[in-house]
Parts: sequence; C-alpha cells; structure tokens
Amino acid sequence: MTTAGGLEGSYRRLLRWYPSSYRTRHEEEILGVLMDAAQPGQRRPGARESVDLLWSALKIRIRMTLRGADSQAWQAALTLVGVLLPLLMVLLKLTEFLDRGAQYGFGTPADLLIGAYGEPGSYARSFQLNPHSVALTGNVGDALTAGPLPALILAVLVCLGWRRAATVFAAFVPLAFLGIALTNGYALLAGPRKDVTLYAYGLEALILLAAPGTARGWRALRWQPSALLATATVAGGVAMNGGLWPLFNVPLAPPASALARIRLREQLASLPHGFVDQLFGIGAGGWGAWLLYQGTLVAIIVAALVIMLVSSPVNRRALFLLGIPFALGAGIYLCSLISPPPPASAGNALAALPLLLIFLAAIAVSLGHRAGPDVPGRPATPGSA
Amino acid sequence: MNDRPLQEPTFLLLTALAEGPQHGYGIMTDVARMSEGRVKLRAGTLYAALDRVVAEGLVEADREEVVDGRLRRYYRLTPLGGDRLTAEVERLRLNAAVAAKRLKLRHRAMRGLA
Repeated sequence: MTTAGGLEGSYRRLLRWYPSSYRTRHEEEILGVLMDAAQPGQRRPGARESVDLLWSALKIRIRMTLRGADSQAWQAALTLVGVLLPLLMVLLKLTEFLDRGAQYGFGTPADLLIGAYGEPGSYARSFQLNPHSVALTGNVGDALTAGPLPALILAVLVCLGWRRAATVFAAFVPLAFLGIALTNGYALLAGPRKDVTLYAYGLEALILLAAPGTARGWRALRWQPSALLATATVAGGVAMNGGLWPLFNVPLAPPASALARIRLREQLASLPHGFVDQLFGIGAGGWGAWLLYQGTLVAIIVAALVIMLVSSPVNRRALFLLGIPFALGAGIYLCSLISPPPPASAGNALAALPLLLIFLAAIAVSLGHRAGPDVPGRPATPGSA
Repeated sequence: MNDRPLQEPTFLLLTALAEGPQHGYGIMTDVARMSEGRVKLRAGTLYAALDRVVAEGLVEADREEVVDGRLRRYYRLTPLGGDRLTAEVERLRLNAAVAAKRLKLRHRAMRGLA
C-alpha cells in the first residue's frame, strides 16, 4: 500500500465515527481537504488531527440528534412543559400543604419551609431529637425536596423568562440534595416522593437548555387552551383538596353510605399501593381514605390532563415529558422492592442514576448548541481579517 | 436574525466567503492567512462549522467539482449570511471606535499628568 493510500485509509477509519447520513454527503469532500492539507510523505493522521475529527464527529452526532428532536412539535412541547412543569410543581406543593394543613394544622413557617405539612412542630422537634448538625442537614434536605420554596423560586425565574438563572437553579437543587444525602448516608431508594422531585428538577434544567423558547417566560404559554385548562384543573384540585371537598362529601353522606364507604375503604386498603403511598406521603392506614377522597380527585385531575394533553401532537409530547419524572420514580421504586434489598450505597447509586443520565443529556444538549467553529471560544476581534 | 456576537472562527469563515465561493481547503488556508496563522481550522472543526452555518442559513453549497479524482464542494455566503457579517462588522467597528476614543482621552490625560 502506498503512503497516500495508507493515510487515506486511516482518515476513512476516523471518518467512520461520523453519522452515516452525514458521511454519505461529506466523506469524499472532507477526505479531499484532509489529503490536500497533509504534509508531503505523511503516513498517518496526527494526534491533534485525529482528536479534532473525533470531537467534530461527536458534535455532528449530537447536533443531528438534536435536529431530529428539533422538529417544531418537540420544540413547542419542550417550551410548554418548560414553563408548565414548575407551575405544576408549585400547585402540587400547594395541594399537599392545603390538604394536610387543613386536616392536621399548618404549623410554623419553619415547618412549612421543610415541607412538614400537617405536622406542626416538626422543625423544632427535629432539633430536640437529633444532634444540631444532623437536624440541620436533614432540614435543608427536606427544604430542597419537600419544601415549597425551591419550586416557588424556580416558577418565578421561569415565568420571568430568566432562563439561564432558572437552569442553574433547577440543576442546583438536585445536586445540592444529592450532596447532602450522600455525605450523610441518607437512603434515596424507596423514597419516590423525593426522587420524583429530584428528577423533575433535573428534567426542568434539561428542558430549559434544550428549548430556547422558554426564555419568553409565561408568554411562552401563549395562553394555550390546553395549558390553561391543565393549570385550571390542577388549581381546581387544589381548591377541592384544600377544604371544598369535605363540603361536597361529608354533609351529604347518609349513615348507610358511610358504612358502605368504610367497607369499600377496607377493600381498597388491601390493594398494592406502595408507590402512590410514598409519593403522596400517605401515613399508615391512610391509604383507603386517600384513595377514596384525594385519590379520586387526583385520578380526575390526571384523566382531565390526559384528555386535554392528547388533543394535539404538541400536547401528546408534553404529556410524555411530564410523565418522565413519575416513570423514573416508579422504576426506582420497583427496584426498591427487590428482595433482599440492595445495600444502601447501591440503592443510592441506583436512585442517582436517572439524574446522572438527565445531566449527561443536558451536557450533550449544551455541547450541541455550542458546537461549531465557536468551540475555540474566542469572540471575533477587530482587525483580525 | 440572531444578533449574538460571532465567535472569531465563524467571523473568519464568513469573511473567507465574502469575496466569492470557496471550497473547504480554500477556506482553511484563507482563514489561516487572514488571521496571520493565529486561527487554524482543522478539517473536522471546519466541517462542523460549515454544518452549523449552513443549518443557520448563513452559507449554502454553490457547486461541485472533481479535481484529481477528488470531490470539491464550493460554498457561498447567502444574503442572510451577508447581512449577518455586515452587522458583525458594524458592531466591531463601533466597539473599536469607542475603544480608540477612550484610549485617546486616556493618553491625553496621562500626558497632562506628566
């Protein structure tokens, strides 16, 4: 084989890392440039040249993948979910707060901050029961995942269209929680309430990166009927859960149906319910009542959302995206049922894995947006040409 | 139109095509010459760059030729690419003018102190 033939073969091997559709159009062209730029007598590609080709192949691959997902419907769905998800997170926190607070008392602002809805005095008790540092890290962890403040901050940043700040914040919350949890030996597995929240924040960071349209903030919703209806339905659910529901239910219930309801509740309580139980923080023995009252409401909300969201290709995609944190949470919960249970470290690694994958996807999206001649990172300077 | 400042390699790439269509190797050598060797676009980086500016509608394929049995595809600036480059040149010119004016004032002040 001649020197040029050997060099060409080496270049062709490197070019195999490019996507095949790109290679079909550009392989001979790039090869021509590589051969033109080769030094006389060069036998094989230089190290820098090889790295440059491999790095560019990766960028082109990412970019082509993104372009596939860049179709208008996906972009619209990402924008819609990017703005809607933090709002839904706030509304769901509000539901929980009103529901449990109305039943068991709202507690102090500190209780509210750590998401101890309906458990007045939890914050103060944690310091009595644990060493100060343990109570403090535990409370910070709870404030990040169960508390309403991060969701509220994220929703405000997103609605104002401060995309960059919102992205950083959405990434910060799960990373900070993971840092606290892993250094303090908390078990993440079998904690779907926290896991789903963490995945939702991670997903939001990814969506904010992938959908430049979210920079329009609340205006990105464009008053879409589906988005409005979805929000209104959840808001309706909040109102019902927060006190209106008993008005519809308790006074109208005759004693005979109350007995029937108790029997039904007992039957329902025997159904498998671990994931939902933990997702909504239902206490021991509370499952039957939850399913009959709040559970019915949640089912109605979910059904309404599904009906509204499957009404168009954009909304179908939006529903798929909204389901991701829950699907991941359910998957992790199923893993927690493995018998015998995995060691705590393996469980934590397993629970952190979806988040890691989401962040890897976010890095890929970020790379894809930045990929191109801009990689050297120098802005154009006057007089350079 | 995207009004983010262009990165230097993109700026040089568009500038290389401002005078007329060029093929990949021509752009590569032209960019190195214009930047006096500071910016060397390797083949991988060049084609990733071209892929991007083509996708943004700033550059398009002009024609193809076969030279010594090898394919050469020429690229040209689109009207949008021309507008983008013009806007960037104007931005740089204004920045340079402001900087030059401030530096002149600074020199004058320093001379006054001395």
